[in-house]
Amino acid sequence: MGIISNPPSLLNIIDFMKKKGAIIEIVLAIVSLSSVLILVLIVVFVFNEALPALLFLGPRLILGGKWAPYYEEYGALPLILGSLLVVLGSALIAVPLGVLSAIFLTEYLPRSLGEPLRSIIELLGTIPSIIYGFLGMIFIAPVISNLFEVPLGKTALTGSIVLSIMIVPTIVSISSEVIASVPKEYKMAALALGATKWQCIKSVILPTAMPGIFASILLALGRAIGETIAVLMVCGCVPIIPSPPWNYLSPVHTLTSAIALDMGEVAIGSLHYHVLFGLGVILMLITFTVNTIADILLKKAPRSVIRV
Amino acid sequence: MKKYRFLEKFIFISLSLPVTALILCFLWILVSIGVEGVKSLSWKFLITSVMDGGIFESIVGTLYMLGGAVTIATPIGVATAVYLAEYAKGGKIARIIIQAIHNIAGIPSIIFGLFGYTFFCTFLGFGISLLSGWLTLACMILPIIVSGSYEAISMVPLSFKKAAIALGASKLRVIRDVVIPTAAPGIATSIILGISRVAGETAAILFTSCVYLTNGLPSNPLQPVMTLTYNLFGMLVATPRDSLGDAFAMALVLLMIVIVLNTFAYFMRIYYRRRWNI
Repeated sequence: MGIISNPPSLLNIIDFMKKKGAIIEIVLAIVSLSSVLILVLIVVFVFNEALPALLFLGPRLILGGKWAPYYEEYGALPLILGSLLVVLGSALIAVPLGVLSAIFLTEYLPRSLGEPLRSIIELLGTIPSIIYGFLGMIFIAPVISNLFEVPLGKTALTGSIVLSIMIVPTIVSISSEVIASVPKEYKMAALALGATKWQCIKSVILPTAMPGIFASILLALGRAIGETIAVLMVCGCVPIIPSPPWNYLSPVHTLTSAIALDMGEVAIGSLHYHVLFGLGVILMLITFTVNTIADILLKKAPRSVIRV
Repeated sequence: MKKYRFLEKFIFISLSLPVTALILCFLWILVSIGVEGVKSLSWKFLITSVMDGGIFESIVGTLYMLGGAVTIATPIGVATAVYLAEYAKGGKIARIIIQAIHNIAGIPSIIFGLFGYTFFCTFLGFGISLLSGWLTLACMILPIIVSGSYEAISMVPLSFKKAAIALGASKLRVIRDVVIPTAAPGIATSIILGISRVAGETAAILFTSCVYLTNGLPSNPLQPVMTLTYNLFGMLVATPRDSLGDAFAMALVLLMIVIVLNTFAYFMRIYYRRRWNI
């Protein structure tokens, strides 16, 4: 009764609550925008440190064929080719493995079995890269060394194998979500027309899910290009252009492993230091492009698969 | 008809092979590290100082690292998720923020290392320190916490919110007393995934906060630290491998941390989805 007999104070309370709500909303908005700020800071600061190298070397940074920091030769072509070689190799292994697994898990297994198996495969993606590098060094490199008679066994092939296991979970995880999101009616219509299960998958489900599957592959490639520690440990870190360029039994150096390896001993402010940030800019441009295409493709999926 | 039946069977078998291969690969990783690691793993190894051939500082360093990074990233991440799910729904600002989160999630960890080095270590003057590592890793796991929390918050049934609003609760109160508590298991899951990512990270802390040998634990956040990943990296790359047993034991500790955390997160997610019948 006290409140009703004193209406102005009630209005005051409501007014106060409204203001408080508005203030909270503004605070939340500001905090949320910090992610935009972080992104801007990353781009600006990495680019800023790379600028001296980009201005001084210009296109020589990308097109130069010799990477020898001790002799002040900063051509990143061997590193870019090395990255591409390892990433393409890992894709050749991971794409069939991942896409076929995704089809099997979603279309052939009951959900109660498919889901746990998928989670086990996803666990592969959470294992730290240092452990992959370790296993690659200890177990896979000697096998490669014996099989193909290359000393040490640290080659682009070794890197591709290790990397393929690391990126397969991304393909399996997103592809199976995309495949599961194909509307049931499509499938039923195909089956009602007398298609066998495989025919239905081949001519209805896969074409519908294709943009999403491509997106999963691109996201996996984006992850592969940026992978550092495992690649550094198993690829040999020799900055040469393999001859012929598709020679998978040659050791390679990559963009990421060059940054990780040299950053520890570089003199701050030297050209070498700025060049390393230049490599970072190249790397960021590649991953931004790949991820943006993947994002666009994912929006074409039957149902919006990834919400945030 | 017979031809089709045979073909279907053939396809079933050949499609089951990749899955089998991947599961076997996972088991192989567990067994190969487990068998060798158990041999040289002991309580003594875990609690002996690095100076005397143990990994005590690395374990505590890893705990420091993930504690700090998660403490910084969680409030920002959850606030962003609340804002996206409850306030900015699909608006222009929301789209910009989501795009930024997507892009941060796609940045390789070595770039976070470069960024952390120029921004936190040099520009802000924190040096190669625990603090620089916290901030760098907090930026890195922000997308994990935002997307996990966002998913959990948007799964809270509308009826819960309506009930609270009907009782006269303000929007803030609904979020504080209904939405967040209901979404808590999902938010916790995203934090656990963030912790697991931090525990296994090497490239981003390589030149922002680690040193190979520390004399004891850091006494304040401005001192460098030693983590399991960096210790293992140093043992394998910087120094010749004289004692592979220790490396296996360390890899086992690391593997156990990551797998236990992720399995826990998996079961929490299942529990959570069952509860809302999704």
